[in-house]
Amino acid sequence: MDPIGRRTLLRTGLLAVAGAMAGPALLTACGTGGEPAARPQQDGRRGGTLRAAFTGAGAAETLNHFTGGTAMDMVRARALHATLGDIDPTAPDGVRYGVLDTIEIATDLSAYTLRLRPKLTFSDGSPLTAADVLWSLMSPADNPASLPVYKNPAANFDFSGARIEDDRTLVLPTLTPIADGRLLLCQGNYLVVKEGSDFSPGTPTSGPFTLQEFEPGVGSLLTRNDAFSLPDADDAPYLDGLELRSIADSDARAAALTGGQIDFAHDLAPVTAQTLRGDDRFTVSSTEAPYVSGLFFRMNLAHEPFRDDRVRTAFKLAADRQAMVDSVFFGDAVVGNDLMSPGFPDYAPEIEQRPFDPDRARRLLREAGADGMSIALTTGPETPGMVEVATLYVENLKEIGVDATLDELPAGQLFADYPAYARLPLAASFSVPTPALPLYQMSYGGQNPSALGWDRPDVDALVAEARGSSGAESAEAGLAAQQVLWEEGNTIAPVFKPFTTAAVPGVSGVADDLFGQFPGFSRTSLS
Amino acid sequence: MNRWAFWLRRLVAGAVALVALSLLIFGATELLPGDAVSAVAGPTATEEERAAVRERLGLDRDAATRYLEWAGGALRGDLGTGYLGARPVTEVVGARLPHSLLLAALALAVTVPVAVVAGLAAGMRAGGPVDHAVSAGTLLVAGLPEFVLATLLLWALAAGPGLLPQVSMVPLGGSPLDAPEILVLPVATLAVSGIAVATRLIRARTADIAATPYIEAARLRGVTGPRLALRHVLPNALGPAVQALGMVTGALVGGAVVVETVFGYPGIGRELQEAVAYRDVPLVQGIALVLCAIALAVLLLTDLLARALDPRSGGAR
Amino acid sequence: MSPAARGARVRARAPARRITRARVCAAICLLVVGIALLGPLLAWASPTEQVGAPFEGPGAGLPLGTDFLGRDLAARVLHGGRLVLGVAAGATVLATALGLVGGVLLGLMSERAAEPVMRAVDLLAVFPSLLLLLLFATGAPGSDLAVLLAVGLACAPFSIRVIRTVTRQTAAGGYVRTARARGDSAWALARYDIWPNIAGTVLADAGLRFVAAVHLAATAGFLGLGRGAPAAHWGRMIRENLPGAALNPLPVLLPAALLTAFAVAVNLLADHAAARRAGPAGPSGAPHA
Repeated sequence: MDPIGRRTLLRTGLLAVAGAMAGPALLTACGTGGEPAARPQQDGRRGGTLRAAFTGAGAAETLNHFTGGTAMDMVRARALHATLGDIDPTAPDGVRYGVLDTIEIATDLSAYTLRLRPKLTFSDGSPLTAADVLWSLMSPADNPASLPVYKNPAANFDFSGARIEDDRTLVLPTLTPIADGRLLLCQGNYLVVKEGSDFSPGTPTSGPFTLQEFEPGVGSLLTRNDAFSLPDADDAPYLDGLELRSIADSDARAAALTGGQIDFAHDLAPVTAQTLRGDDRFTVSSTEAPYVSGLFFRMNLAHEPFRDDRVRTAFKLAADRQAMVDSVFFGDAVVGNDLMSPGFPDYAPEIEQRPFDPDRARRLLREAGADGMSIALTTGPETPGMVEVATLYVENLKEIGVDATLDELPAGQLFADYPAYARLPLAASFSVPTPALPLYQMSYGGQNPSALGWDRPDVDALVAEARGSSGAESAEAGLAAQQVLWEEGNTIAPVFKPFTTAAVPGVSGVADDLFGQFPGFSRTSLS
Repeated sequence: MNRWAFWLRRLVAGAVALVALSLLIFGATELLPGDAVSAVAGPTATEEERAAVRERLGLDRDAATRYLEWAGGALRGDLGTGYLGARPVTEVVGARLPHSLLLAALALAVTVPVAVVAGLAAGMRAGGPVDHAVSAGTLLVAGLPEFVLATLLLWALAAGPGLLPQVSMVPLGGSPLDAPEILVLPVATLAVSGIAVATRLIRARTADIAATPYIEAARLRGVTGPRLALRHVLPNALGPAVQALGMVTGALVGGAVVVETVFGYPGIGRELQEAVAYRDVPLVQGIALVLCAIALAVLLLTDLLARALDPRSGGAR
Repeated sequence: MSPAARGARVRARAPARRITRARVCAAICLLVVGIALLGPLLAWASPTEQVGAPFEGPGAGLPLGTDFLGRDLAARVLHGGRLVLGVAAGATVLATALGLVGGVLLGLMSERAAEPVMRAVDLLAVFPSLLLLLLFATGAPGSDLAVLLAVGLACAPFSIRVIRTVTRQTAAGGYVRTARARGDSAWALARYDIWPNIAGTVLADAGLRFVAAVHLAATAGFLGLGRGAPAAHWGRMIRENLPGAALNPLPVLLPAALLTAFAVAVNLLADHAAARRAGPAGPSGAPHA
């Protein structure tokens, strides 16, 4: 990337926007509801510029969402690039397609055929073709810096055997037969970028908005992409503009909202959300399962006491899940059942909820000869609530006779030295919303180092069987796999927390974008 | 001493100090356990991928080589590239530093007149009621850590009554001056603590000078009040005062970290704090080096200014 | 009127008030230090155990209410000072030790030899202390020792400067010159001729460094440097409880008040001591790092 060229571009961008900015920027002191910029009225919903704030990462923010892990990067990407599809339990295929018309699955599950909607274009008018889709799915696998979720397609599909049949048709052979490929490809993370894109600010994009300006650590300004269309909503996107601001602190995001500086605040810490709930000038909403993020603790099986099933069960029974939900999240979270991905179609809801039973936990621990064992739980402030939940869990462990201590690492440090992380005896982690079985294969099965010693080929086989079949057969294998995980797994998943946002009352349709945790605002309107 | 020799010696001392500080900066960040590879390669990278990244970043070479390369680059105006955003460090500094300098300049513009007036007023009548009031006030404020002061101001002026924005959001594509209200609280915080320190320094110097026979003589001639302060004390106090303010300026550059973090102001201090949080070593090193260079330049400037303003050294030449 | 005479007049005007004020200040200092050191022994409840809902106001059994995790605030406050003052005390010892070694050596050296070193010390004093803190924290994340070292190093140049000045004043005195002429070793000189004369100043200086060190150590906690949860830390408490300040402001106000009261009291005491030594001019301005 040529820094000089990019800076020039940014500067010319500055001039173009300076005039438009003077209005709303002038006096925020008296504004209470947040007066958005001028909005020409075409119909009831069109118009307006939404100002929204997200967690960013200063200079580390990037337009390349394959490597940029912050909410800011992901939301910007969702606004700039069209999605393949999003999970929609009400839709016939379980997903709502974006640029795709359909995904057809070969009867033997050996290949997926992706068909694009006709006449799709990028913001520069060039056609959006099957080659772009293929590149968008394939290219992150070659870059070690890519986020794990973007390497996942390559773990399921054989890209070297991919065929572009025509501009609108892409055939992806599977590496092993899988039945849940639609769910996998249309989980909302996979977006279409132009083949060979370098993610510089001038690159043509396919999404509801186009980039006018990008200042890492400060924000970006986007305007409506007139070339974009949704199959089921003709005049979307409704917004004329989108101003995405980077505000690191949850409290500061709420303060900017109450001060009228923004219209929408993303990912609020529980206390902040609780305070805003009492204020009728704002609407607070939380995502629901499956768009919830799991906070969990993993017991390292290399650590002697954890090899005993009874100790692991005792550690699971010790967690006072309801107390965590109540006191950390003010009730706005879901009790976890030591399994990942509640709310996704492949999750096994029929497994009974693990109770809070400190007495039995104490008994089990004593039977295993492990009472009084000492353990350090390592955590870090990687996502709101993580340290808080860990702090309470350590107290729970002390209750059952474990000499537990909490070791909180500074922000950004927990996963920084991964080999060191994989050696921790008891480590905190969190999950982003991902279907249960692909998540297992991606980060748990097959002796993955992040599984801290979990090595069960039988469960791996059950999961592969569940993904490689459909209907009752698949459900049965999936249930069996999760039953083993529930009984013998080394993960305590006590809480799944929603992404909580707050907005001024005129903002509507954010959730219609479906990918609840990182809204792209394609169907959002202001009134 | 020859004026040029003085300049030269100061410059050489500054350069030597900068080299020493650059070693300190490089050494301190080298202590990082593990290495930066994980930050770049991502948690799930294989050992081969990690090795490739290590080689690409040049981390497989020894520390001395890397230091020389870094320092050499810095001399050519190239501070390397941040690990995470892959942006040139100079670009980040170029974008953020002006915002911080603006804060420091505004804070100084408030601090100087207030500190000079208060310091003079208190020092001229040491032990008098004005001195008591000023000394008590500055003592109280000097006792407030900057982050407490910032938090208190935030509450008193923004969060409660809503008079000012709580978050210093710079208009996109604009400068902080396009939204002057966002500057009030950060500048106020820096100025208040700056005033406390500078006033105490100036007061002490003024009190020393006011007690000299020279000033006693002027008093006996009937020169009193502001005229005595401005005509006779101030010129003598100016040199040390400038030096004191130089120290305050240096502190402003560092103190900006706290203030920018509390108010979310996009300056170099907050960028540094984020770089520290994300362990972006090249960014931390680059920003630290630039801040050190600025602090040294300020010291050099104030030294020269103090010398030029000091009536004694002026007379000697 | 000579300065000394005016000073005497000022002192005579209200000696009783001054002494009372000094006593109050000393009491406040002792109180804060006492809470910090003995607090963990006094606390009746665990500082980490959850006892209620977050940000509850004061009530039965919870004299100060709860913090952001529903933990007993009183216990948190009682536990939260030890880390701040402990790190600050360690840093002060480090700074004063460096100041003694550096200051006395430089004070005994010839002006010509000491000048360049003093320039270097002046330059180090300019190095923003927070920058030092952030650098060390980058190198050794989560380490209190790194914070201690950074704070100590940030304070040391000021100690060196002050101690060098008094050493030079002492060294200019007749008996030191006599001792030098006698051929006493530098160590003997420093130990028997210099130290007794500068000890008071060194201690007073250490007091001021301590205040600056407490500020820095608290700021480190506020910025999330040093040891993490669940350790109670006055600086950190201010940060982590800020979001709920509207619900219960005490978790923010109390640590802030303790830190401020301590610093103001020490500053007042230092002023008092300096005024007694130096007359009306007061302390010649020891800036806060």
